Amino acid sequence: MNSILVLLRKDFALLRKDRASISLTFLVPFVLIYLFGQIYHVNSKDPGPSGIPVAVVNQSDNPGAQKLVEALQAETSFKVLTQFVNPDKTTRPLTEEDLRPLMRADDFRFALVIPRDVVRSDSIGLHLKTYTNPRNEIESETFEGLLQKTIFSHVPQLLGQSLQARAKAFLGDERFEKFNSEIASTVAENYGGDASAIKARMESGDLLFRVDGSGTGTEGTTDVLASIVKIDNVQVAGLGVKSPMATALVGGWAMQFLLFALTASATALFRERDQGIFQRVLSAPVSRGDILWSKFLYGICLGLLQLVVLFFAGHILYGIEIGSQFGFLVLVCVFAAAACTSFGMLIAAISPTPEAARGLSTFAILFMCAIGGAWFPVSFMPEFIQRFSRLTLVYWAMEGFSQVLWSHDTLVELLPTLGYLTLMTSAVMGFSVWRFNKGRIFD
Amino acid sequence: MTLDPPLLSAKGVVKRYGSTTALDGVTLDIAPGEFFGLLGPNGAGKSTFMALVSGFRPLDGGTLTVGGASVAGSAAARAALGLVPQHIALYMDLTAEENLRIFGELYGLHGAILMERIDQALAAVQLADRRFDTVKAFSGGMQRRLNLAAALLHRPKLLLCDEPTVGVDPQSRNAIFDLLQELNRGGLTVIYSTHYMEEATRLCSRIAIIDHGKILALGTIDQLLDQLPFEEEIRFPSTAATGALLADLAPNGEVTTVDGIHRFRPRTGYPLSAFYLLTERLSIPQRLFTTQRPSLEALFLQLTGRVLRE
Repeated sequence: MNSILVLLRKDFALLRKDRASISLTFLVPFVLIYLFGQIYHVNSKDPGPSGIPVAVVNQSDNPGAQKLVEALQAETSFKVLTQFVNPDKTTRPLTEEDLRPLMRADDFRFALVIPRDVVRSDSIGLHLKTYTNPRNEIESETFEGLLQKTIFSHVPQLLGQSLQARAKAFLGDERFEKFNSEIASTVAENYGGDASAIKARMESGDLLFRVDGSGTGTEGTTDVLASIVKIDNVQVAGLGVKSPMATALVGGWAMQFLLFALTASATALFRERDQGIFQRVLSAPVSRGDILWSKFLYGICLGLLQLVVLFFAGHILYGIEIGSQFGFLVLVCVFAAAACTSFGMLIAAISPTPEAARGLSTFAILFMCAIGGAWFPVSFMPEFIQRFSRLTLVYWAMEGFSQVLWSHDTLVELLPTLGYLTLMTSAVMGFSVWRFNKGRIFD
Repeated sequence: MTLDPPLLSAKGVVKRYGSTTALDGVTLDIAPGEFFGLLGPNGAGKSTFMALVSGFRPLDGGTLTVGGASVAGSAAARAALGLVPQHIALYMDLTAEENLRIFGELYGLHGAILMERIDQALAAVQLADRRFDTVKAFSGGMQRRLNLAAALLHRPKLLLCDEPTVGVDPQSRNAIFDLLQELNRGGLTVIYSTHYMEEATRLCSRIAIIDHGKILALGTIDQLLDQLPFEEEIRFPSTAATGALLADLAPNGEVTTVDGIHRFRPRTGYPLSAFYLLTERLSIPQRLFTTQRPSLEALFLQLTGRVLRE
């Protein structure tokens, strides 16, 4: 035990002298968490995409069309371009003819044309035209989804106008006039209001969506879609979590940094072997097991330290609440660090050279993080990968972090997760020790 | 013949790396207080022998004991050993004192005793004034000296020096030699591996010449040189004129040629006057010939047909 502690202290003494390692272990992840947070819009009021350039050509004189343009301009996900800039810096409204060359020049990848006949009588719905360069599929889907949401949420009167136009074409002028008058009268009789005013609003496409409780309808300034489909949400976990997105993401990033740091630490075994340190140490009353145990304990200590620092960074930068759950968080961090250390030891045990260890670990870490849920939720993945992800230590560490920081689980509820991590650590560490004794790290 | 029981006893020691036999039945005893040399070229098996003695690698055959106990299974046997590895086995980013503290603690030294031993070790290798400097700031010679100091902290009974002067400047080399000789005079048993004949000759009371994993010769320098079948060696360059000598010399001794130099070792009883008459008859200038007493190098050549540096 004395030898293990001496070797453990030695590793910390070496770490203390190695400013580059300290930076890579603590400072760089801290900075990266900040940068990733900005990239992912963590804690932003509008965490979706922003500033996707969209050209809009409005050929219609329908007031609803102009309202649609304004709604798109108000949507932070879009950067709406309506003007063509001449070489002399003067501007003019964009035309449909401008779109193709500008898109080829990659000034923007999406364009919306609101034609003169945006509301037609031969079909129900709006008539719009888009130009796209779907180089990025996610961006394309975002554009289409947000465009539809903006129309339904903010300019429903265009849809109302469409229904009115179609009804007028189907019924004929006289019967359509009678149809609207009778509906307006019925609404006025039953709910109050002036029948002629209601009829005028119906003809303008305002189908009296009630969102403000006034009974007077809305001009579309509020999210009408949300008032049509009302969903009562009952949150069963994560109540009181101030920063849900950061809480979910920081654990994943921390695991990735931890795996890289601890694998690098474990592969330091190669350096000590090549420097002849092991020969000297093993000529003392020290066993191979002492060396491996000291490395294992060092990994756990370093990992624990790194995880706590990174969660602390999450607390400072994104308000992740760790105070009330600190004890359980440390517990999960210890088990996660042990699992990551055993992984690092495995890489060192099965790799013939430090170079091979680096290549193998990079592949394995990225793979585990990808399918283990460190980058995005496991539920986004195909079902067979979801099953496979449960074999990774990243999955169970993430599960543990989520249980502590999101669900605020009790110790009993945490035990199965900690059990899986222990099982993985034991199996991987056992195999690694066997390989170390069979292999050439001590030769 | 030694009266004391041997401090180190190797009997039929075998070590293999895959299909290569690095040590092939090595048998030797080393008495307490000896300065024992392992002399052989690179790859002869010297470092492997050191690795087995230090317990770093397991034996594939035979027995190896230090103080009567197997090194592999005895912490006491290991505590009796001090190893100066061929590599500079130090933590380069730590100071001299931090290194010594770690290695001292691994041998169970603590507190005031450890600090006293560190003081003594640093003074012995003349590095007391560099105590708080990081090892990577040291010259190669200083690192070698600290490498030696780290093996002395726990006051071992047997010091294993595996080519401890590789790449060392003459000043540091002499400092290391002086220290080792002083320690040996104080009773420390030393096993010193080298491929430098001069080092073995200067330091060692007994030498084993090793090659291809086998002990080829073992004894004091005088005992080893007595094994040579000649008392003197005549060397002369390989030229057209001297080439004419070879046919006449062959029946009267052994002629070998290494690096363009002929070496003639006359058989016992062959008068050197006959050799010089022969050279006069062939009008070969006398200045081309040098006569030397036989050396360990000559013995190695005699035993292996190769020069030691090969």
